[in-house]
Amino acid sequence: MERADRGARRGDASGAAIEVNDLTVAYREQPVLWDVDVAFRKGVLTAIVGPNGAGKTTLIQSILGLVRPAAGRIRILGQPVREGRRSVAYVPQRGSVDWDFPTSVLDVVTMGTYGRLGWIRRPGRRERAAAMEALGKVGMEAFEGRQIRQLSGGQQQRVFLARALVQDAPIYLMDEPFQGVDARTEAAIVEVLGDLRARGDTVIAVHHALQSVPEYFDDVVLLNVRRIASGPVQEVFTEANLRTCYGGRVPFLQAVTERPAPATGRPATGRPEDAPPP
Amino acid sequence: MSLPDLLHGLLFDFTLRTVALGAAVLGALAGALGCFAVLRQQSLLGDAISHAALPGIVLAFVLTGSRATPVLVLGAGIAGWIGTLAVMAIVRGGRLPEDTALGIVLSVFFGFGMVLLTWVQGRPDARQAGLDTFLFGQAATVLPGDVALVAGVGSVAGLITILFWKEFKLLTFDPDYATALGLPLRRVDFLLTGLLVVAIVLGLQMVGVVLMSALVVAPAAAARQWTDSLRTMVLLAAVIGAGAGVTGAAISATARGVPTGPTIVLVASAVVAFSLLAAPRRGLVAEMLRSARVRRRIRADAMLMDLYALSRQHVEPGHPHPVATLQAMSGRERGVSASLRSLEARGWAVHTEGDRAEHAAGRLPGASSDRHWAITEAGRIRARQLLETGVGPRPGPGEPAEPGSPEVPA
Repeated sequence: MERADRGARRGDASGAAIEVNDLTVAYREQPVLWDVDVAFRKGVLTAIVGPNGAGKTTLIQSILGLVRPAAGRIRILGQPVREGRRSVAYVPQRGSVDWDFPTSVLDVVTMGTYGRLGWIRRPGRRERAAAMEALGKVGMEAFEGRQIRQLSGGQQQRVFLARALVQDAPIYLMDEPFQGVDARTEAAIVEVLGDLRARGDTVIAVHHALQSVPEYFDDVVLLNVRRIASGPVQEVFTEANLRTCYGGRVPFLQAVTERPAPATGRPATGRPEDAPPP
Repeated sequence: MSLPDLLHGLLFDFTLRTVALGAAVLGALAGALGCFAVLRQQSLLGDAISHAALPGIVLAFVLTGSRATPVLVLGAGIAGWIGTLAVMAIVRGGRLPEDTALGIVLSVFFGFGMVLLTWVQGRPDARQAGLDTFLFGQAATVLPGDVALVAGVGSVAGLITILFWKEFKLLTFDPDYATALGLPLRRVDFLLTGLLVVAIVLGLQMVGVVLMSALVVAPAAAARQWTDSLRTMVLLAAVIGAGAGVTGAAISATARGVPTGPTIVLVASAVVAFSLLAAPRRGLVAEMLRSARVRRRIRADAMLMDLYALSRQHVEPGHPHPVATLQAMSGRERGVSASLRSLEARGWAVHTEGDRAEHAAGRLPGASSDRHWAITEAGRIRARQLLETGVGPRPGPGEPAEPGSPEVPA
């Protein structure tokens, strides 16, 4: 009872896509996330940043029910994880699967339709058409028949993004979508993010490249086992917060905080070449 | 027994035909389900299951006094399943890695089974005779009723695999994503592993607990070499498994005293060895041919650069040079002519026959039999291109490798 009241007071329960309250996750008694409260706003792009081991991936996996929290409450569009995760499309880290698996690009993307197909039913023409459309959105339609081993890292990332797009969910959870991708893939992902925001979808992405946070995202969560800060980029992406989060060692701090954050309507064509060199 | 006799027997001998049919169904099922185990990197699970089944077989006999196959298979299934659950529980406990868990379960259960078997064999009970054939399998002990059991249960297991194809594929490829989609991962995992247990215990009578896992792993490993489609891989593994099963069972059933398990394993291993060598793309031979081709091309490119360098030392770029010069430049004794010929085939170099008169007059160096080589205009263009892009393997079609994005260092 008391917990529910606190949740309602803290965050605009109606406006949050995902609400995380008092989340604690531990591996062998070692806390990975400690009493984390975050409300992810609907219809905006949120970056989760923090040093290695900050629990960014664990936060994503808790929301999806992939790890069992020691304590806390997670609501997805007001529903508990088991029901709510149907509204979430997941883009895992590229390295989480064996890319030598005997399957084709189109087949992997079609897996995004398995959730709505339900048991036993097989994907048919409609599902494959949806998969092709999603491949088109990430500029990969020419690769439909390609064995997935033959893809570059960036292409693999775009295949995973297309698989999530096929789910046609209102919320997207992405675990380091920009990790080690080529310029072309980065541009393609940024364009997709822009489209999703234009449609009113919610995107939550673990992000490593601090300098592109103001350019690509609306909100940011600074995480280091505890939640350091969260909110609109202009308000919380400050030098002080970054120092707290990264323990004073922020290599790009200067570049990040000096960078003017465009207020609204950012073009969806941000290219990594524009980013300041390290 | 000669091969024609064996074929004749397979077709017309009732006993042999029965055994072969059972071995075919069994091999197909084990091969197909083995694909999932191999792709999930659980190749050893089959070994643990089959070894864990041994105490179940002996206990089933001790408790019921029956030597009927369905009774023993049921006992094997229960023990195998308990062994599998033990592996899963140990892994979930997080104290030990999976391979250690498999090793422990395998040896503990098998050791217990051997103790039981020795004890039973020491009892004054004649009916225990033949229980030890479950160690290495004896196709000759298989009766028509046993084959009916294998065929019936095997067909149901195959049908379930087809029905839950999409779920099994997703579980095997990306279990986290499957969970995120709302797939009840634990139940699908139990179903798939349960089918593997069924396939294995059905095969124990014919193949034996010691080597049954070979019939699970080998067809899948062989099939993987030939295809990049899961469906083709599973079908191919089923065919290979059936083939190995029939061949092994037939040889064992007709040659007195030859156990079936080792025979099947030898046949299946031969198919694996052949596949590793001969498969297109993934095979060893294909890979050697590929790297030889790349080496040849790199050598030819280097030779072209040598010719280009020589041509720049002359006013007239088409000035021919003897092979000996090029040998000295490239530091290679052999293969120089082959490289030059391949350049010529692409129009980048031309040769002139060494002119005896010129040699006699001392105007051309080298032996009189030497050809002289010169770079062509197309070759010079190509050489300048190579100077830009570098000598080496060309990137494949599509995009270049990613340069990496700016990152926050750890």
